[in-house]
Amino acid sequence: MPLVKVNGIAVEVPPGTNMIEAAKKVGVEIPHYCYHPHLSVAGNCRMCLVDVEAGGRGPDIACNMAATEGLAIRTDTPKVTQMRKSVMEFLLVNHPLDCPICDQSGECRLQDYYMEYGQHDSRLADAKMGKGKRQDIGDQIVLDAERCVQCSRCVRFSDEVTGTGELRLFNRSNQTQIGIFPGVRLSHQYQGNLADICPVGALTLKDFRFKKRVWWLKESESVCGGCATGCNTLVHHQDNEVYRFTPRRNDEVNKSWICDQGRLSYKDVTSLKRLTGAKVNGQRAELPEAANAAAMLLKGAKVGVVFGAKATTEANWAAVKLVRARLPSARAYVIEGNDPDAFTYQDEILVDSDKTPNRFGAALTASQLGSVGDAEALKAALAAGEIDALLVLQDDVIGRLGIAAPKALVYVGTFKNATATAAAVVLPAAHSIEQAGTWINRQGRVQRLRKTVAPAGDSVADYSAVDAIGRAFGGAVIPEMPAAIFQELAAGVKALNGLTLKGLGHGGQLITLSAPSAGADQPGQAAPAK
Amino acid sequence: MSDVIPAIKKRKLSTSESIYLVEVLKGMAITMGHVIKNIIGELKGQSTFDTMEYPEVRKPVNDRFKGAHRLTTRPDGKYKCVACMCCSTACPAKCISIVAGEDADDPIEKYPVRFDIDMLRCIYCGFCVEACPKDAIRMDTRIYEINAFSRQDMIHTRDYMRDLMAGDKPEAEQWYRENPQHSPEGFLGEVPPVIP
Ligand code: SF4
Ligand code: SF4
Ligand code: SF4
Ligand code: SF4
Ligand code: FES
Repeated sequence: MPLVKVNGIAVEVPPGTNMIEAAKKVGVEIPHYCYHPHLSVAGNCRMCLVDVEAGGRGPDIACNMAATEGLAIRTDTPKVTQMRKSVMEFLLVNHPLDCPICDQSGECRLQDYYMEYGQHDSRLADAKMGKGKRQDIGDQIVLDAERCVQCSRCVRFSDEVTGTGELRLFNRSNQTQIGIFPGVRLSHQYQGNLADICPVGALTLKDFRFKKRVWWLKESESVCGGCATGCNTLVHHQDNEVYRFTPRRNDEVNKSWICDQGRLSYKDVTSLKRLTGAKVNGQRAELPEAANAAAMLLKGAKVGVVFGAKATTEANWAAVKLVRARLPSARAYVIEGNDPDAFTYQDEILVDSDKTPNRFGAALTASQLGSVGDAEALKAALAAGEIDALLVLQDDVIGRLGIAAPKALVYVGTFKNATATAAAVVLPAAHSIEQAGTWINRQGRVQRLRKTVAPAGDSVADYSAVDAIGRAFGGAVIPEMPAAIFQELAAGVKALNGLTLKGLGHGGQLITLSAPSAGADQPGQAAPAK
Repeated sequence: MSDVIPAIKKRKLSTSESIYLVEVLKGMAITMGHVIKNIIGELKGQSTFDTMEYPEVRKPVNDRFKGAHRLTTRPDGKYKCVACMCCSTACPAKCISIVAGEDADDPIEKYPVRFDIDMLRCIYCGFCVEACPKDAIRMDTRIYEINAFSRQDMIHTRDYMRDLMAGDKPEAEQWYRENPQHSPEGFLGEVPPVIP
């Protein structure tokens, strides 16, 4: 690996690494607009100019400078300071300085770099060039061409990531304008990412328009539950209210992207579809009361447990423990397919055809009980009277299969659906951003959920809801703290052996299924193909 | 912590003080002294009263006095405020709450749908005025009678603050307009005009 020097600090990086990344490794930030780690290098903003001490000719742009043995750059010379200042002056020549009405303000690179490297007095004598403001170019995006710094990130995104190529930089020199081809409208599923990658406020999200100043929002890490991909997200919230989801970089899962469906799914958190209170036979009840009713229904019955591909692995584990402790004759099921209200879009970029975030985890935990039945087995068993009570975690089983619900149906779930309507007992589960836990995505990556805001209404973490049934039977089945549950889970499930909640880190941990002889650890046929 | 807090010794009342009556009479003597002084003053034709007859007479306030907030407007009558929320960010009392909206017909895309200041929490620091990039909020009304019969009414709303100087409210300003003879010198003409 080549040894390079940044401001005199030596660092070893893989060959070909560009110097922005190499500098980041030693804690030196090189300002940049057009460079994006998941797009090709364009090298047109010139903000990343650095001095080359050895191993090349300088000054040169760091984003297009591949690390080679002996390369040494400096970012702390007066020359670099002057270059940055001059680039900033150029970029601001036609900039409207709309900050008071610009949604980017607070997370704008023009603002940040001006404060850090610009601070020049305006020498502008001519009037600024006006360009198209407030252009409606897509379902999710508003374009303000005046604010654009011509970095071409959006152009490269639509060429390289979505392959739709709607955007271009038109005209030349100071007349250059970002625009969309005539008659074209952004219509792909990744528009929101344009607003994220645009370093300024030229492309902004319609949904977030004027809603909140970003400096008030707190960011918490989470994972999107829209499909089996499990894109890493940041939940932006203030005072227990969620304002937006943005993608969180994870090179192994979603790079820096997220689909619009997932991005806008923050609306579900407060949607009227939420189950916010426990119910017994359609009547509102307190949670312990409902858990008691659930225990009464399940006690002595021929129980089938439907493990939830939308529930956390912890909740599924709690169900395993509940079965082991209290319902030894219960049968386990994992029902493939998506809920009837799931969105149908899928593609090769991110969106999986499987709209459940944790099918892998559900299958893995259910298999701890031995054989796991599928939809057909469940239908047959219900028809034959081999089971007469169901405990369902999160999945809309009734809606999915279109079957008649058994009288004794206990539903632990976040949203209203056919199963919740048919259930004799409903225990409200928190939304995935309102509770801790883990999901295992289609790759077999265990990813961590965190409690970012307080659960709505009376809802509790889904594993606590399952545990409440256990308590109604006479004793808790799982520990209380998420870390302790995960510890137990990791010890109990072979594929997870050795993992700790903390050890999952920000990017999650890939689990490999051990040799086929591991038998019980093989997820059932419901496991994802990918 | 070796400091010992010294005990305060109570002074013993003297004999005349412990009778009280003497002290009461002393107090009354001071009052009577003023009464006599005022009567003599009135007879001589010069007012010697120390008390101001508020609200008919008021103390003029300083030019820099921070009174009730007002929201300024553009020549077309729309709010100058663009709901950038710099004021509510700067406000140390966190008493400004703004809801922004989009004005489809205005090139200045954003405007305040709501703009409330909870005057019970405001500490009149003036940071909001300092922070505003649009000269949209000012505290130059010289209004210091900020009171109401309910907490709700102590929340000054967007339109209230816009119309404050228009005389819709019987506040100090309005009173001065009706009784110009009592207004401090130059007061009425002095509120700086809003630069469009
Ligand atoms: S893009 Fe940045 S600098 Fe330009 S108006 Fe928006 S916040 Fe201000
Ligand atoms: S619109 Fe944004 S992302 Fe696109 S070129 Fe302009 S500044 Fe770059
Ligand atoms: S005067 Fe100070 S406390 Fe009152 S609203 Fe303005 S910033 Fe807030
Ligand atoms: S009053 Fe001024 S600072 Fe406050 S939101 Fe309006 S424009 Fe911004
Ligand atoms: S980041 Fe290197 S030129 Fe733009």
